Amino acid sequence: MASDNEKKETEKETAEEKIGVYICHCGGNISDHVDVQKVRDNIANLPGVVTAYTNMFMCSDPGQELIQKDIKDGKINRVVVASCAPSLHELTFRGAIKRAGMNPYLYEHANIREQVSWVHDGEKATAKATSLVAAAIAKTRNQEPLDPIRVEARNHTIVIGGGIAGLRAAHDLSARGIQVALVEKSPFLGGQTAMLNELVPTGEKAGDLIQALSRQVLDDENITVYTCTEVIRYEGYVGNFKLTLKSSPPESKKDLEKMALLADKNNPSREFVPFAGIYPARVPDNSEEMVLDTGAIVFATGFQLYTPRDGEYGFNENPEVITLPDLIRHLAEHPSSGRALEIGGRKIERVALIHCVGSRMIPGIHEPDADGNLNEYCSRTCCSATLQAANQIRERHPDTHVFEYYRDIRTYGRGHEEYYERASDNHVMFFRFEPEDPPVVERSTSGRHPLKVTVKDTLTFGEELEAEVDLVVLSVGMEPSNIRDLVEMMKLPVGADRFLQEVHPKLRPVEVANTGILLAGTCQAPMDVGEACSAAQAASVKASILLTKGYVELDPFVAEVDPEKCTGHGLCAEACPIEGAIELQEMEADADKVKRAEVIPALCTGCGICVAVCPENAIDIKGWTLKEYEDMVDAIVAI
Amino acid sequence: MTTQANNASEGKILILATESCAYPGANSVGQAHSSYPANTYILRVRAPALFPEKFYLDCFEKGIGGIIIMACGEECPYEGAYTALAKRIDRVFQMMKKRGYDLRRLRLTAICTVCNRAFLKEITQMNELIQELGAPSNDIEAAAAEAAS
Repeated sequence: MASDNEKKETEKETAEEKIGVYICHCGGNISDHVDVQKVRDNIANLPGVVTAYTNMFMCSDPGQELIQKDIKDGKINRVVVASCAPSLHELTFRGAIKRAGMNPYLYEHANIREQVSWVHDGEKATAKATSLVAAAIAKTRNQEPLDPIRVEARNHTIVIGGGIAGLRAAHDLSARGIQVALVEKSPFLGGQTAMLNELVPTGEKAGDLIQALSRQVLDDENITVYTCTEVIRYEGYVGNFKLTLKSSPPESKKDLEKMALLADKNNPSREFVPFAGIYPARVPDNSEEMVLDTGAIVFATGFQLYTPRDGEYGFNENPEVITLPDLIRHLAEHPSSGRALEIGGRKIERVALIHCVGSRMIPGIHEPDADGNLNEYCSRTCCSATLQAANQIRERHPDTHVFEYYRDIRTYGRGHEEYYERASDNHVMFFRFEPEDPPVVERSTSGRHPLKVTVKDTLTFGEELEAEVDLVVLSVGMEPSNIRDLVEMMKLPVGADRFLQEVHPKLRPVEVANTGILLAGTCQAPMDVGEACSAAQAASVKASILLTKGYVELDPFVAEVDPEKCTGHGLCAEACPIEGAIELQEMEADADKVKRAEVIPALCTGCGICVAVCPENAIDIKGWTLKEYEDMVDAIVAI
Repeated sequence: MTTQANNASEGKILILATESCAYPGANSVGQAHSSYPANTYILRVRAPALFPEKFYLDCFEKGIGGIIIMACGEECPYEGAYTALAKRIDRVFQMMKKRGYDLRRLRLTAICTVCNRAFLKEITQMNELIQELGAPSNDIEAAAAEAAS
């Protein structure tokens, strides 16, 4: 908090506004459509503006240093930056201003990329950008220095999801001295990784990784593991979230199937059970609720596999059509070395592997699900996984021929392309198809093999090729887990692909707009195990940055009463929806006892309902005042 | 500033977009590079419940052709704010009627963070309307003429 003397000094310094305006080219993202030099010229002479620059990248170090130099030279005491959406760089510029020794709230951001250059063009775009910059200048003229509200932060994080990303995040958070609650909906730790066998590109056993990581987590005194538990209520803010958890006996078909794999469900163990996971605690007999206070939340809710529609490549109509996870499991559970692969006593001489099932779907070509969703994204892991399975079959069962039907081979990760090369060496035969002409799977009438796959193969310039096969394997993609309840409860941003959406894919890749909530792994996008662990580690570090100071600073955007203007009628307190956020206090004024409204900042949410009902305009939201809005409208109308 | 006449001549639409829903929604339209009329000016607000009735009427008086409040609707993160807003807008409509403004100049809508189509539809409709109606002062003159006849 600033001392009285410092405050007086700041007031003196900010009394006469000296506004610096910084307009970003964004490399061309803005300046290709907005004449930024013209915008600069248009606003340079507006009242209060003392400097106005354009810069190629305002968010870069040289861009930020431009502002900082003007502050340090005493040229400016207000800042306007015109660049991308404020959600990306408002904090960047506030930080730069603060580091230069100025109050970071004497700053306004004009969004001239997402709301101008990306949607308008030419003179109209330049004119609109000018108006928005002028409005920001008008707002900043009356801004006052503000101090953030500092609240104690709990040194605790709740990790939701006990797959590999959740385990990794929990372990790393604890290593940083943060208490962790790991909340897993199912009775098992390990998530989808536990349903795999060998991992690309190292060939390590997925079960070994899960077992090692789970042991570290279960042995850790800082970590409490809650299986069969879901989050059912949420309130609070960064540093002080309150989550209600509910544990209940497992009901889902998948959980019950996995439970059936256990030797004794009354005897939890730390041993990995293939295709189930680690069963660390007995399932509860009854439902029970508990409340946990926490400082941050890490989402590690993972993904679910795409289920092919009935009839899609003959799925659910032919028993010989299975999915890649089914094949992986079969190969793991039947490590025979017969010259030909056998499934259910049936010799598989020829197998067809079809890529991109439930991924890279195209509107008008592929059928959306019941909710109208299409998975237009690439699931990124299935090409490598399919090639791995193909190699395994060819190397273990040389009498089984493998045909791969693909649109594009996307073995993008380090060491993944080698699987493709190995598949060629192993004489896997490739057929390439266009999305509008996918392979057709039918029953064969020859009697030699049960199925027939027909494809228009672009590798042979569109020739129609038929192949009789004994087995068709569909490489199903990833879909976001069904976490609709959590998304609605916590109001989380979701992308067009229905995965959770980060603030910025490069600059803030594991944060969501809700401060204190972080993303770990495939709840955000399709990833392989390595990438999911990277994301989990990044999320742990971000949570640690938030919590280990012991406090968090919240924006000071709460209501404030001007006691000079307040007449004590109490309309604000009546209108306020938060119990106790505004109270009428008795005080002395000119030797009389009067009532005046007083805001309790810790309770105020800053909604502004009180502002609208005060006839004297004696109450306002700091940083978002009514006068500032009126000034912005005047600026928009004037230019 | 010769370029400025372009947008002014078309009338101006003020959009009050909530920080949690409609403002990121407008950014999402930008990310999709979906073009819309440039006479639209988006102000980021925490909750539009902050604005008193007079704010809207003053805007029309200042020459703003149309106002779209893009709120979070029932998803409003501020307890009670959306209900308070809806009631206030009813009162603004009554006051607009009294002054002779065409009520269609003010729209209360809910726009989410990915409601790109709804965002574009609202803007297109409001833009067509204000092109048809002209400046808000026209409404008052027309209402006065009707009262006199």
